[in-house]
Amino acid sequence: MAGKGRNCVPRALRQKVRAGLWQETISRFGENSMAMVGFYVIAAVAIVAIFAPLISFHDPYEINLRQRLLLPSGAHILGTDAFGRDMLSRIIYGARISLLVGLIPSFISIGIGSAVGVTSGYLGGKIDFILMRVADIVIAFPSLLLAMVIMYTLGAGLSNIFIALSFVGWAEAARVVRSQVLSLREQGFVEAAKAMGVRRRAIMARHIFPNCLPSLVVLFTLKVPEFILAEASLSFLGVGAQPPVPSWGLLVSQGKEFIFSAPWVVAFPGGAIFLVALAFNFVGDGLREALDPYLKR
Amino acid sequence: MRFSKWLCAIGIAFICVVYGAGTALAQGGVLRIPYLEDPKTADCQTQTISYLLPLNCFDRLVECITVGPGESKIVPGLAERWEISDDGRVYTFYLRKGVFFHHGTELTADDVVYTFDRMLDPNTRALNTDILDWVEGARERMDGKAIYTKGLEALDRYTVQITLRGPYAPFLAVMASPQASIYNREFTIKSGNRFGLTPETTSGTGPFVMKEYVLNDHLLLVANEDYYRGRPQVDEILVRITPDPETLRMLFEAGEIDIFDCDYAVSQIPYFTNHPKWKDYVASSPRVGIYYYSINQRIKPFDDVRVRKALQMAIDRKLILDELFYGKGHLENGIMPRGLICHNPDLPVIEYDPEKAKALLAQAGYPDGVEMEIAQVSGARQWLRINEVVQAMLREAGFKARIRQMDEAAFYATRSTGDLPSYVQVWSADFNDPDNFFYTFFAPKNTVARSFNYESQEVFDALEKGRSLSDQGERCELYRKLEQVIVQRDAAWVPLFSLEHVYVLQPRVKNFVAPWNGWSDMSYYGIRLED
Amino acid sequence: MATVPVLIGVSILIFVMLNIIPGDPVAVMMKERISPDVVEKVKAQMGLDDPLIVRYFRFIGGALRGDFGMSYKLNRPVSRLIMQAFPNTLALALAAALVSWLIGIPAGVLSALKPNTIIDRAFMGFSVAGISMPIFWSALLMQYLFALKLGWLPVSGFYGAKYLLMPAVALGWSAAGTIARLSRSSLLDVMQKDYIRTARAKGLSEVRVVVYHALKNALLPVVTVMAIQVASFLSGAVITESVFGIPGLGRLAVDAIRTRDMPLLEGSVLFATFLVVMGNAMADILYSTLDPRIRYGR
Repeated sequence: MAGKGRNCVPRALRQKVRAGLWQETISRFGENSMAMVGFYVIAAVAIVAIFAPLISFHDPYEINLRQRLLLPSGAHILGTDAFGRDMLSRIIYGARISLLVGLIPSFISIGIGSAVGVTSGYLGGKIDFILMRVADIVIAFPSLLLAMVIMYTLGAGLSNIFIALSFVGWAEAARVVRSQVLSLREQGFVEAAKAMGVRRRAIMARHIFPNCLPSLVVLFTLKVPEFILAEASLSFLGVGAQPPVPSWGLLVSQGKEFIFSAPWVVAFPGGAIFLVALAFNFVGDGLREALDPYLKR
Repeated sequence: MRFSKWLCAIGIAFICVVYGAGTALAQGGVLRIPYLEDPKTADCQTQTISYLLPLNCFDRLVECITVGPGESKIVPGLAERWEISDDGRVYTFYLRKGVFFHHGTELTADDVVYTFDRMLDPNTRALNTDILDWVEGARERMDGKAIYTKGLEALDRYTVQITLRGPYAPFLAVMASPQASIYNREFTIKSGNRFGLTPETTSGTGPFVMKEYVLNDHLLLVANEDYYRGRPQVDEILVRITPDPETLRMLFEAGEIDIFDCDYAVSQIPYFTNHPKWKDYVASSPRVGIYYYSINQRIKPFDDVRVRKALQMAIDRKLILDELFYGKGHLENGIMPRGLICHNPDLPVIEYDPEKAKALLAQAGYPDGVEMEIAQVSGARQWLRINEVVQAMLREAGFKARIRQMDEAAFYATRSTGDLPSYVQVWSADFNDPDNFFYTFFAPKNTVARSFNYESQEVFDALEKGRSLSDQGERCELYRKLEQVIVQRDAAWVPLFSLEHVYVLQPRVKNFVAPWNGWSDMSYYGIRLED
Repeated sequence: MATVPVLIGVSILIFVMLNIIPGDPVAVMMKERISPDVVEKVKAQMGLDDPLIVRYFRFIGGALRGDFGMSYKLNRPVSRLIMQAFPNTLALALAAALVSWLIGIPAGVLSALKPNTIIDRAFMGFSVAGISMPIFWSALLMQYLFALKLGWLPVSGFYGAKYLLMPAVALGWSAAGTIARLSRSSLLDVMQKDYIRTARAKGLSEVRVVVYHALKNALLPVVTVMAIQVASFLSGAVITESVFGIPGLGRLAVDAIRTRDMPLLEGSVLFATFLVVMGNAMADILYSTLDPRIRYGR
């Protein structure tokens, strides 16, 4: 009896609301042409990234010093770089890396951020104070410098980039989640669950966190381009991905030297970053608009 | 055609430099030069990186001048003549009279004594004390056991005597290096720890006077009207500090700076040499410097000479030189590059042979190849360029190399404890003597501090002997033998090549002479501007 | 925000990290011309051999008295280095902020007034483009176009307003998207409020409604972001500063990391952090003074 009553009312209510919410959101998102274009761009890049070995004609790592800096042509559609490597293949393989650089730290930082945010907001008190001061420190610390120091500590390399960017990014997510939790905590269904004796951890995981999801989805989408650009900045400062790995950021900062004599070496990877970052930003904005009625609730 | 132009330019420069004919040709103008990183201080005792200010604002007892592409000669500087005792231990310098510091006092023997004593004074925290290590009493002074340096003495107002603890053949050449710049006692003491940091606290005898210094932004040097060799030909030098090489390059192309050093963008040499506007204004000179890969014998399997020999053979140096450096240089097979006294042109050639390298590895017990690391300072593209290519070449020869990028501070710290894997670097001569190469890399402490860990008593003994010999022919013979031992027999070092140093100039820059050793920093004394 | 704990936390974070990272401030000062004996001696002379805790408290002791010590590498007092660099960075930050408002606010307002139209998409697209490019890339393109090809602006340097334009645009554009988003959503919000409906019902022209009633309220959250934004530019301008050769705080800090210059890094980052914290505090105060409904210290 008690068991039944504990769950049935709020969950049914929530599920109905949520199902309606997502359907509505998707249809509203579909009406936004920019967001849809962004979505298609991302989908295309993702497909390219997944099937990179099938798509590219050349080995992105194969050095051929006798074919340096060739102009775009039939054999090399986007030309070759300073080591005679095929630019198109490098950009295609780079899509894998740059997408990962965008996605993985976004996942991790939002994961950590939500855990911290929910805990902090729901429990309050001393734990809240301490966690939020730690978040304050991370936020107040100039983020690029922080990432740089972490990269120096851990050494250059892709997995360390994930760690550094996640470390820099979690605090913002924690703050967003916490402020949502603070308002959710006072809402009826949470009060009801609490009154029915649902355990704290269960409330946090099953009642509060799902309600933060819409804003986290938006935050996630907007974090991806931010991290892709951050990796480019780190590469510019010399602590990004490890050559010969063709991350887009590395391609741009290495190609920079050729802006006069072989502009394609810097233009194409730069264009790729721009395109993908823009696409994610459009999708993020589209999602935000589509979720707007819910976010404001 | 190019050569005769060169000879002519060098001839003129030589005349200007040695005979002080500068005044007659003076035309004035502001020479604008770029600089990638702030020089931090004009005090060459406390830094080892930038020679711009020492070379232009200060003078030395003797000077090493450029007499031809890659050729140098030691000539009188602040000392008009000098004597060396028969046992090679006592150097007596007779100073020129009537040389004045920028703030107006006359140079005396006491200033020279003060300058070198200051370097050794522990309170100075000098980084270049090595150059005075041979002076008698230097070690006691550095350790704080003496309050003066025994071997430094002013015999009279214009005579300095420097006594060494033993004969040290390169000493005169060392006295011509920028670190041995001469300061004024009174002024330097008064400036305290701000010496060299601001125009008010900088004074030398050199051709230019520091007038403005805004950290990380610019420096303005003005002509020293009373320079003892005659006023320089330009009125001012504006040094613009720009950390980004592409920005710097655009500054040059936009006509905002006068000299572009192609070291900042080696890949752009063909662009300039083929560009209708620039091709006639490209200057180049051989660099007395050698590119090399280090080998750390502490890291297995590089303790095995066969593995090291295989590594020497696994790099197609010719291809790198031709493609990455557009053939502007020469392959080197030893330690002493072209232009250094005692250079040996007849060394056995190290051939590129990946198959033989593989066979050697198999012989050494590694038929499946060897894993190794190549370290480099992160983001340093001049090294990355070489490393990425070498990485691919090594793969052909059975070395699976991983490039490990470390930031500068970590790189140098790891290296100084002897733990750094192989790395590529260039060493250019500070002074024209083999000691500057051999001792730097293979002396007992240095071989650890540069992560070679090549412990050979035979080499250590030869190095000490080479320092004390006074007969040049005998010394050369010793170093040439040693070179073969190190490179050919023990394969402790992988020589690559020596390169040309290429500069592009604005058409208004005349009399440009690239320094003999190929430094980016040079004295701008002889340069003239035509508008 | 609790300022003091944050500053102490940041100082400890820097200190610990700088000591975990392998690296040696003296070795990196000497680079290729390293000499093992000299490194040892000079490190002892600089007190770098002392235990970690001793060095930290020596630093904090000085910092509390306003003395951040001497930079290892530059051999100048850290406080003077910061004070010399600060005005340049401040000028850049303010100019960049101005650019981001000039792009962001009109874009946000226009797209809020005509949501889901071409105008909306175009303006939002333009401001979002700024946050989709690496700064060094957009800076390079601008330098190439406006300085080299067209000759309108100087390539780099910092000698007057003309020199400030490109860096301010490069940095400001990269933040315009955020401002545009914020002003858009905030104005959309306000436009649905009752008093706007009332104003419209009274027959006021649309322009009047927007300018006199909606904008004033909608820009409130935007204004508060501005203070934080200026503060974050102060430390976030590292790349802009190095591409355009501006002798600012960001470059000092990056050089300090590279050379393990502990006093300089502590000094410059603590200073930047302090400004960020102050920016936040100012934003709170601004918000509460501008909006009488909100009381400070909720």
